[in-house]
Amino acid sequence: MITGSPFMAMKNIDKSFNGVPVLKNVTLQVEKGEIHALLGENGAGKSTMMNILGGVHNPDNGSIYIEGEEVKMANPRISQEQGISFIHQELNVVADLKVYENMFLGSELRNKFGFLNVEQMCRETHDVMETLGVDIDPKIYVRDLDTSYKQLIEIAKALLRKSRLIIMDEPTTSLAEHEVNRLFELMKGLKKSGVSIIYISHKLKEIKTVCDSFTVLRDGELIGTGSMEDQDPETITRMMVGKAVSQERYVHDNPFGDTILEVTGLSCEGLFKDINFSLRNGEILGFTGLAGDGRTELFETLFGYRKKYTGQVKVKGKPVAIDHPRKALRAGIGFVPKNRKENAIIKDLSVIHNMSLSSMGNFESKGFLQDKMEKERFQHYKGILNIKVHNPEVTIDKLSGGNQQKVVIAKWLEAQTEILIFDNPTQGIDVGAKQEIYQEIVALSEMGKAVIVLSSEAQEVIKVCHSINVMYQGEITARFDGKTANEEEIMHYATGSKREAEKIG
Amino acid sequence: MANTNAKEYNPKSSSTKSRLSWLWSEYSVIIAFVIIFIASAILSPRFLDMNNQLNILMQVSIIGIIAMGMTVVMLSGGIDLSVGSVLALAGVVSVLALNASGSILVGIFIALLVGSFAGFLNGLMVAKGRIASFIATLGMMAAARSIALYIADGGSVSGQVTGFTAISNSDLWIFDVPVIIFFIMTAAVYVLMHKTRFGRYVYALGSNEKAALLSAIRVDRIKIGVYTLIGALVGIAAVIETSRLNSISSSSSGSQYELDAIAAVIIGGTRMTGGRGKIIGTLFGVLILGILNNMMNLTNVSPYLQGFVKGLIIIIAVVFQKRE
Repeated sequence: MITGSPFMAMKNIDKSFNGVPVLKNVTLQVEKGEIHALLGENGAGKSTMMNILGGVHNPDNGSIYIEGEEVKMANPRISQEQGISFIHQELNVVADLKVYENMFLGSELRNKFGFLNVEQMCRETHDVMETLGVDIDPKIYVRDLDTSYKQLIEIAKALLRKSRLIIMDEPTTSLAEHEVNRLFELMKGLKKSGVSIIYISHKLKEIKTVCDSFTVLRDGELIGTGSMEDQDPETITRMMVGKAVSQERYVHDNPFGDTILEVTGLSCEGLFKDINFSLRNGEILGFTGLAGDGRTELFETLFGYRKKYTGQVKVKGKPVAIDHPRKALRAGIGFVPKNRKENAIIKDLSVIHNMSLSSMGNFESKGFLQDKMEKERFQHYKGILNIKVHNPEVTIDKLSGGNQQKVVIAKWLEAQTEILIFDNPTQGIDVGAKQEIYQEIVALSEMGKAVIVLSSEAQEVIKVCHSINVMYQGEITARFDGKTANEEEIMHYATGSKREAEKIG
Repeated sequence: MANTNAKEYNPKSSSTKSRLSWLWSEYSVIIAFVIIFIASAILSPRFLDMNNQLNILMQVSIIGIIAMGMTVVMLSGGIDLSVGSVLALAGVVSVLALNASGSILVGIFIALLVGSFAGFLNGLMVAKGRIASFIATLGMMAAARSIALYIADGGSVSGQVTGFTAISNSDLWIFDVPVIIFFIMTAAVYVLMHKTRFGRYVYALGSNEKAALLSAIRVDRIKIGVYTLIGALVGIAAVIETSRLNSISSSSSGSQYELDAIAAVIIGGTRMTGGRGKIIGTLFGVLILGILNNMMNLTNVSPYLQGFVKGLIIIIAVVFQKRE
């Protein structure tokens, strides 16, 4: 593979923060026109590595070469001038600006009077979009576009700046399957035109389909690098976590109890319609589908976050009108939402206080909160959920994603909920911790809790659910037994290419 | 993973480290206070005089009580611009009630009622009407002042009940009663914010409203509670203000109190967007403002320049917080 000097090479990089080594003698080489996967769990040092390449941090030791010449990436501007673009996980597009305004943000074209040259910017935007094979009106507002198009704008922006190396940090987390495919087509196109891509992701399947070579980091050290073709996913996973991750189902055939939740004819204009399902104690029910299938909205409604709906919800046989999360909690429903940072954690509160937030009454004596009781209770959950935290009095944003998620789970356990809804429970959580979350979910069902898992990854629901509902455009289009379900079948119903309405009942 | 990380568990070192950073973040305003205090003592020999010290406390007590409420509002992610106007309105109405009934208790009760009701309306607008707090309370600011002016016909109203002035003009041991009320209110708000679920909810709401709602917190009620609380505190402040000179002016009383209260909260380190801040910080923010005013009087700084100095201090305080 290595002929002459690679397009970009970071050699023997060392970096430590406050005396803690984060990168130890790491080397990364990317050829011209290749898609290179940078792999590793959260905290393995991937972001630090990329921040060094982007000129955000300076390495303690080691050097960076572009086309064989050493470059000091002292600040982000130098990195940009070298043709390196960074597309962050959280997209940096301004929703209230138009497409072309986003494209030229910070480097607007001006005419000879110093005014904005809108026409030319639109024309160039259009041209770049055309090379990417999409047709977007440059004058449309970004807020009116799908997420995948926002990603596209970022990529187009990178192309516009004549980028030669694009770093993509988990670009597919917020994309639906067909959008992912579009992104991959695009990446392959870029590759052909000689642009190199560093692709950071946890999803091995994606990496296998799109990447040419890989580098694995673990705990700041280089574990392995090579061509993608020679490696099977299990080996790479083992490199990442230091042990093999099983592909087996986590869920067992545990006996179900009584029906606890019954939903009949639940509809909400424009979001979902005629949803029927029931849930028993000890059962794990999965919901999957593509983005825009309405599953998140459905369960936000069930949790009282959305108020307008028709249809009936029965908990333990009694009809309940849920128009506020408080009422959902009273009915015994807990909700672990997606996008943890925005929806689930209170980042200025300590770990303990996040745990106790939904059940303050448990920690009161004569109207005053008892710190000691909260602490003791937290120790209890720390034990059973294996929450890794040195000092639970620190704010929750200091914890890793997996541990944050466990604290959110603890919050609902403490609130004595019987029905637990998980929306994308492993979003932004690294491979090892994912397994733990799956195990927790299964353990909850074995404790007799009724569990609902929503996920855009069909694999995930197959792993943890007894039965699976597939949604398409706000309707349940198919039901599968978890044991016999396979990803391919599910995708047929999720994309709407097959419908099986009569099977439901 | 599970096994390797467990070994790192070392509560001692991490807690002393976090305690140190906690000390710094907690006490930066206190450090500023100490510096200003010492500088004042050096600049003016009269500053340390006991009477002067007590005088400072007396002068900050009204703003101090309002600033406690403002801290809670700002922790919830809001702001209340109406405090000065509501103070005037509560003062005017309560004096009328006082004179009509002849009962000091009725006067106090009415002041609290008017203040709380105005706050409740603010809360309703913010929580149920989904109006930005800045706008809602800006409207209340204009409306309350206007009603006060209308009732008092643009002038002042004076109490005609003997004993009413005693509230602000008597003292317990060495402290004036308003100072004691200020301290009690500070302690009460401190307990409310740190020892009750209401306080916890306010912090949660200010930090992440959506997550708070999805944690099954009745966000709307907490918001209404927050604005009602500051309204009640403004009612108390109105009683002190009125009792001090036995009269209240519908046009000038309470004018710009909102700015001083917000300034004290900001100097005290509370984040403008909510979720982070401390009652103790506001207490010292109030004291810093009091010392500055006092020092400018003692050193004969032109009263026209006092606003300039105050503005400068606020901006410096915020710049320092950004650095941390």
